[in-house]
Amino acid sequence: MNKTMLGYVPKESPIYAVHPFVKLYFLLIVSLFPMFVAAPEWNFLLLVIILGLMVISRVDIRIVRIYIPVAISMGSIILISYTILGGRHPEFQVVFNLFGLPIYWERIRDALVVYFRILPMIATMVFFLSTSRERDIIVAMRTIRLPFVVTYVFAMALRAAGMVLEDFQIVRQAEQARGFDTTGKPLTYKIRKYIMYMIPLFALSLRRSEEFTNALVARGYAFTGEASRVKRADYILTHYTFKPHDFVFTAIITLAFIALLVARYGFNYFGLDDSWFIRWLYSVLV
Amino acid sequence: MGVIHIVILALLIGIGFVVGAFGSISFPLGFGVNFFWTGIAVQQVGGIWFGGWGVLAGAIFPFFSNAIAGTPFYVSLGYVPANAVQAFLPAWAFRRFKADPRLKSGRDYLILFLSMLVANAFGALWSPLVVLRGFGLLTTESLPLFVWGWFGGNMIAGIVFNFILLKALSPVVIRTPAFVKRWWA
Repeated sequence: MNKTMLGYVPKESPIYAVHPFVKLYFLLIVSLFPMFVAAPEWNFLLLVIILGLMVISRVDIRIVRIYIPVAISMGSIILISYTILGGRHPEFQVVFNLFGLPIYWERIRDALVVYFRILPMIATMVFFLSTSRERDIIVAMRTIRLPFVVTYVFAMALRAAGMVLEDFQIVRQAEQARGFDTTGKPLTYKIRKYIMYMIPLFALSLRRSEEFTNALVARGYAFTGEASRVKRADYILTHYTFKPHDFVFTAIITLAFIALLVARYGFNYFGLDDSWFIRWLYSVLV
Repeated sequence: MGVIHIVILALLIGIGFVVGAFGSISFPLGFGVNFFWTGIAVQQVGGIWFGGWGVLAGAIFPFFSNAIAGTPFYVSLGYVPANAVQAFLPAWAFRRFKADPRLKSGRDYLILFLSMLVANAFGALWSPLVVLRGFGLLTTESLPLFVWGWFGGNMIAGIVFNFILLKALSPVVIRTPAFVKRWWA
């Protein structure tokens, strides 16, 4: 199994045949798709396709469970924000009254449009995080020739996040061993006491920064001056070649995006007027 | 600029990533807006201690902590100016008015509080009004909920953490080579 940023993926997963740049490109471009699509059924289809890609990539689909509360809370907030907090609009069609508050068809429709736009965007991010290792992101950054210092800071930041998580566990266990227990305490108490984790975390990181610096200086790393201009061997890139199928995937993503833009703005597709889901919902609610 | 500042930048992004994600997952209001965002401490205290490096980290790390918490990529990208200003203003105020990060006087406390207030107010206005409205995610009527959610979530967390962190750790930090008195060194 390979550890990715959000879980584990088997080494035999077909996703590892794909160059990391293609995954990053997929995230950057496919995240844009829902912004140009209003009809919820098309965005739902995109969501299904992304979930299908996760299954093909042999991602443990249980990882999606972490995001179910996020999706539910986001959906509830969107719905409340559009309907209950949506204000009074005599020009809209009232579907029903909730404690004297009119709930309008137009607001329910807009809430659904927004919600179905957000879901594939989240899924794209989850797909990327659950199939990418830290190394993949670094390879993708090196492939697009980002400066060494940017890639290095990014790599170190990803590593630091892992270390901070470990430190967090150590600090928590150390405080529990000294009798600190927040079980059954109110939320305000827990929030106040969270500072007891923050101070040691900062202090540990400061100490670590000196250790890191000494290690880097001892190995001759420099980010400014003459030493920084020495051409570096991109060892990691020698393990990843951009194969013909990577070109094909990149071309498919690009062409799909261009086709989407042409269909949206040239032929007025993916709008609400053509949405069968919205027509069906209207016939049910109004 | 030394190697240590590059390291500090990376470590601050790392701490912010974890601490910010905790706030984003535990107290979500929606679209990366939280009732209590712990990441604000890393953002503002980091800027005060490490100048431009802290500001850079403060602008970058929410992008990652939001991503982990399920905020769409381009919405997170839209928050970058808000996060940059939230990290920059307290750092600028401390340098412009020569306040002491160890919070030795009432004036230092006041500068920190006012700079937090203005910085968080900017963030609270930018993100819902420009980003969330720009993406068509909110109605005009629901904007106040998100404006106050962002402002209150950052302000309360800032009051709880920033003062204590500065008071407890500044005496140590200013003696380390990582401390940045001006902006970059």
